[in-house]
Amino acid sequence: MDFLLSGFIKAIELLISGDSYTWSAVAATLKVSSISMLLSLGAGLPCGFILGYFNFRGKRALRTVLDTLLALPTVFIGLLVYAFISSKGPMGSFNLLFTLTGIAVGQTILAFPIVAAITASIIENIDPGLKLTLISLGAGKRNTILTCLWEVRYGILAAAVTAYGRVLTEVGISMMVGGNIKWHTRTMTTAIALETGKGMFSNGIALGLILILIAFTVNLSLSFLRKK
Amino acid sequence: MMTARNRIFEIRNLAHSYNGRPVLLVDDLAFERGSITGLTGPNGSGKSTLLKLLGFALKPSQGEILFNGRVQVPYSRAVRSKVTLLTQEPYLLKRTVFDNIAYGLKIRNRSADLASHIREALDLVGLDFKEFSQRRWHELSGGEAQRVALAARLVLKPEVLLLDEPTASVDVKSAKLIRNASLQAKNTWGTTLIIASHDWHWLSEISDRQLHIFKGQVVSAGMENIIPGPWAPSDLPGLVERSLGNGAAIKAVPPPTPGMTALINIDHIHFKTCDTHDDSVDENHLTGMVTRLILERKTGDILITLSIHDIQLTFKFPSNTISNLELFPGKTITLCFSARHIEWI
Repeated sequence: MDFLLSGFIKAIELLISGDSYTWSAVAATLKVSSISMLLSLGAGLPCGFILGYFNFRGKRALRTVLDTLLALPTVFIGLLVYAFISSKGPMGSFNLLFTLTGIAVGQTILAFPIVAAITASIIENIDPGLKLTLISLGAGKRNTILTCLWEVRYGILAAAVTAYGRVLTEVGISMMVGGNIKWHTRTMTTAIALETGKGMFSNGIALGLILILIAFTVNLSLSFLRKK
Repeated sequence: MMTARNRIFEIRNLAHSYNGRPVLLVDDLAFERGSITGLTGPNGSGKSTLLKLLGFALKPSQGEILFNGRVQVPYSRAVRSKVTLLTQEPYLLKRTVFDNIAYGLKIRNRSADLASHIREALDLVGLDFKEFSQRRWHELSGGEAQRVALAARLVLKPEVLLLDEPTASVDVKSAKLIRNASLQAKNTWGTTLIIASHDWHWLSEISDRQLHIFKGQVVSAGMENIIPGPWAPSDLPGLVERSLGNGAAIKAVPPPTPGMTALINIDHIHFKTCDTHDDSVDENHLTGMVTRLILERKTGDILITLSIHDIQLTFKFPSNTISNLELFPGKTITLCFSARHIEWI
């Protein structure tokens, strides 16, 4: 058990001393997760809203597909993205393989169904009295939609937090699409896997602590927003 | 007299259904500008659907609704700032009381002097601006929430205020304040009120006319008594009867088609002129107990409700002649009406 304790101590030392290797992985993680969250929220929120708010032919089938995508394993997404962006793949000319952008594309595919499916469920479960109230107060179509979204903002925040948690902690996509290249595409999770494999527990624990710290900070900020 | 110019709403050949199930059928109906109309009828009769359609919150399955002489549909600009609906269970936006009331004004870009408008609206429903304006939606009782919802509509100074059971689930004080505020809107801005309520007393007191809705149809522009079945063939030829127990029964001419509902208009029920020796086979003589006496302020008539076994019948009597009859709740009287006056819908 000594290695665990010494791992924690080393972790704190690494964090305080501003170890460049550790902070490089942190920066890579924050960069890809931010891009993928922006993309998945940008696409997932409108899709989820359309699925939840409107009734149209094929809606049930689409929901089933979306719910199935929630269970996509990260290694499978990694494999698909790899196949598409490798030099032989249909998107090979974009040179995305072993780049942070490539990882972000894979993580967007991971986060999109989470954002869209949870948003759709939240919108579907909106109190029918809300729409009636908004029409009664004179809201037009645009105001009705915007106010509906604002009314379920906490639910949508929960969708974003859930997706962010998934993106922040995934290994499969980052490893397969990013290649775990030091100083370049090594994220916190791939670094933890590598350091643990090498028996360097302290580095792994340090990165793990930072990962938890980031997740805590995000949740704390959202909790503050909710109170406001 | 309702002229084409003072008709605020006109309904033409309206039919509405939910998932193919018809819930409302109104061929021709108009509402006068500045009037108060009471909608009565049992739960599920179509009152709420009619109000949602008049509030342009629903698009009718068939037919059309004219507002100020023009056909309008949900979200049309001509109705958005003029017609507003308050439901029995109001939905308050997840924000403060101030922001809830300000919502309608803000989306109309009427943000000038918001605080004074909101103070005025809260005053109308008996809520103190200082105490309530910054409360959040979940910090209100049911009655307070209903009053805030009404204030959010009154602040718009609507041309039409549609109220769906506004006092059904609130305390006595809130109910009184809601009733007064609605009436004040009518008196101050000439707002047309259309009110669905089971509060017959209130409707009798304030409404210019009452519409009774039953099974999705407007039965009449007056008060009708519905006589629920079952109806069975009578021993008397050419009649059916509805047993009241103890050997008593209500006689009626048979319905054109089975399964129809029987109605008797209050104007066809009498007791003063009832000739108890009338042996006419189609004359109904029913003895029951007076359970309610209500003054209809608009006409000065007294509405008398009589309980006869498991049914209640209401009829009218002029107030100036009623004093000699010594009527009071609990008194047993006999009334009569012809079997031929029972209508079927």
